[in-house]
Amino acid sequence: MKQTPVLEGAFVSDPEPVLVGSRCRSCETVAFPASFTCPNPRCARKDVVATSLSRTGRLASWTTVHFPPPPPFVAPDPFVPITVVEVEFVSEGIQVVGPLVGASAEGLRMGMAMETVVEVYYSDDSGEVIGWKFRPTEGDADE
Amino acid sequence: MSDVIVAGVGLHPWGKFPEKSWVEMGADVALDAVSDAGMEWTDVEAMVSGAMQWGGSTGMRSGNTIAAALGETGVPIANINNACASGGSLMRAAYAMITSGMHDSVLVIGTDKSPKGYFPSVPVLADEPRPPVDMVRWQVGVPNPAYWALEMRKRMEAYGSTEEHLAQVKVKNSRHGSLNPYARYQKAFTLEQVLSSPMVCDPLRLLEICATSDGAAAVVLVSEKKARRLGVNPPVKVAACSLASGEFGDPTIRIPLLAATSDGAATAPLLSESRLAAQMAYEQAGLGPEDMDFVELPDNSSWHELQYLETMGFCGEGEAEKLLDAGETALGGRLPVCPSGGFSSFGEATMAQGILQIVEVTWQLRGTAGTRQVEGARKAITEVYGAQANNSACVLTT
Ligand SMILES: [Zn+2]
Repeated sequence: MKQTPVLEGAFVSDPEPVLVGSRCRSCETVAFPASFTCPNPRCARKDVVATSLSRTGRLASWTTVHFPPPPPFVAPDPFVPITVVEVEFVSEGIQVVGPLVGASAEGLRMGMAMETVVEVYYSDDSGEVIGWKFRPTEGDADE
Repeated sequence: MSDVIVAGVGLHPWGKFPEKSWVEMGADVALDAVSDAGMEWTDVEAMVSGAMQWGGSTGMRSGNTIAAALGETGVPIANINNACASGGSLMRAAYAMITSGMHDSVLVIGTDKSPKGYFPSVPVLADEPRPPVDMVRWQVGVPNPAYWALEMRKRMEAYGSTEEHLAQVKVKNSRHGSLNPYARYQKAFTLEQVLSSPMVCDPLRLLEICATSDGAAAVVLVSEKKARRLGVNPPVKVAACSLASGEFGDPTIRIPLLAATSDGAATAPLLSESRLAAQMAYEQAGLGPEDMDFVELPDNSSWHELQYLETMGFCGEGEAEKLLDAGETALGGRLPVCPSGGFSSFGEATMAQGILQIVEVTWQLRGTAGTRQVEGARKAITEVYGAQANNSACVLTT
């Protein structure tokens, strides 16, 4: 089946699933999704390259969404509540939101290690749309 | 520099009005505000109006649409959209037109009809090289209240705030709203009722998140000179009107973004734009939070009310719940918060909600707020909360 990324260039699956953002070669600021420029107002050089984020980060917050979001969200019928998590990638200095997978919200606790995975968001006539999700993992977040 | 005086205000009841267009609602409040100022439609020197995205092309130029309906007079009209901060942004634009001496009277209009449920994304060009982040965040599944819920959970972890605190904010604001004949919801809810309302984005429940409403509000701002000529009494003065945007390094993940980059120096606070807008307004007015008799803050959700008490300088971080528990933020308390009933009782109509706050403060400072009157109110601050880091605050005094 044809697979389309929810956002071209925002993640890779090989050799391991990670998010891809941009990093400023001058001030090291990381942005996600990748930007064409550096968002640091005090940075004059603004020379950015693509950069892979750490695979693992720390759980900074979460919420379970109990009512289906409107399109372009594709909701199963009946709707199954989804949990959105905020993961902090410490060495990159960035927090990213994404859907939770592989655990229920009840099992979450602040600061636990979360790893990036790439999974199917939904399928439609043109194939599968894939994107990043986060799942709890053993061990510590990459520092 | 001329002082800026609120000469007239107009407010439409808020709710759902399928039989009435936003143009009629806007025209009604415009004429009400003009007449409250003791002026005629043809006396208005300039207009600013909320560029209402849900109204399509004519909505984006709402001021011209309303002027065409009421009779075009050739005055300058600016249409502005700054999301939920539009009302405050309109106020600031009008304020600047008067302090600069450019005009002696400016009509400020916000009229809006909202889609039901979560605010959806606005259509964009199909041939952009990358989909806008506002499309991607919906595919990920992050509605607006989810952003607020993420911050609230951090607050619970950091300060021990509880679900009961969130519910108590609604109990208080619904009691205020029950005293306001213009509010969409005029029912005082009990703690049990709030806590048994459906969970939307946990820990935020349905009754703790403002609904999307239809509403309209208008204000006529005039120069000191014009106010004297009109015999405005009592003259409610706009002592400050600020507008601020976010600072790099602010840890808040903004609607509709997917991430926040922290500054290595970590200098910017949560909701940096809101803190800045409040600070600028206090500075401009030469007053501080301790001088305020009450506040109309953006209670888009119960989380907002707790956070904004701190962001606007009324207490330290993590202390808002204490003010709430002590009854200080209720009518009759030391610092009534949202005596109008707030967005929790009105619902949000993004173009109009900032102006709704100005109308309420004007009535309070005139002493005509009826059963919800804050005794002896002389000074108040309003603040809105706009998507993507927009914010505005106004200080009004009499
Ligand atoms: Zn840089």
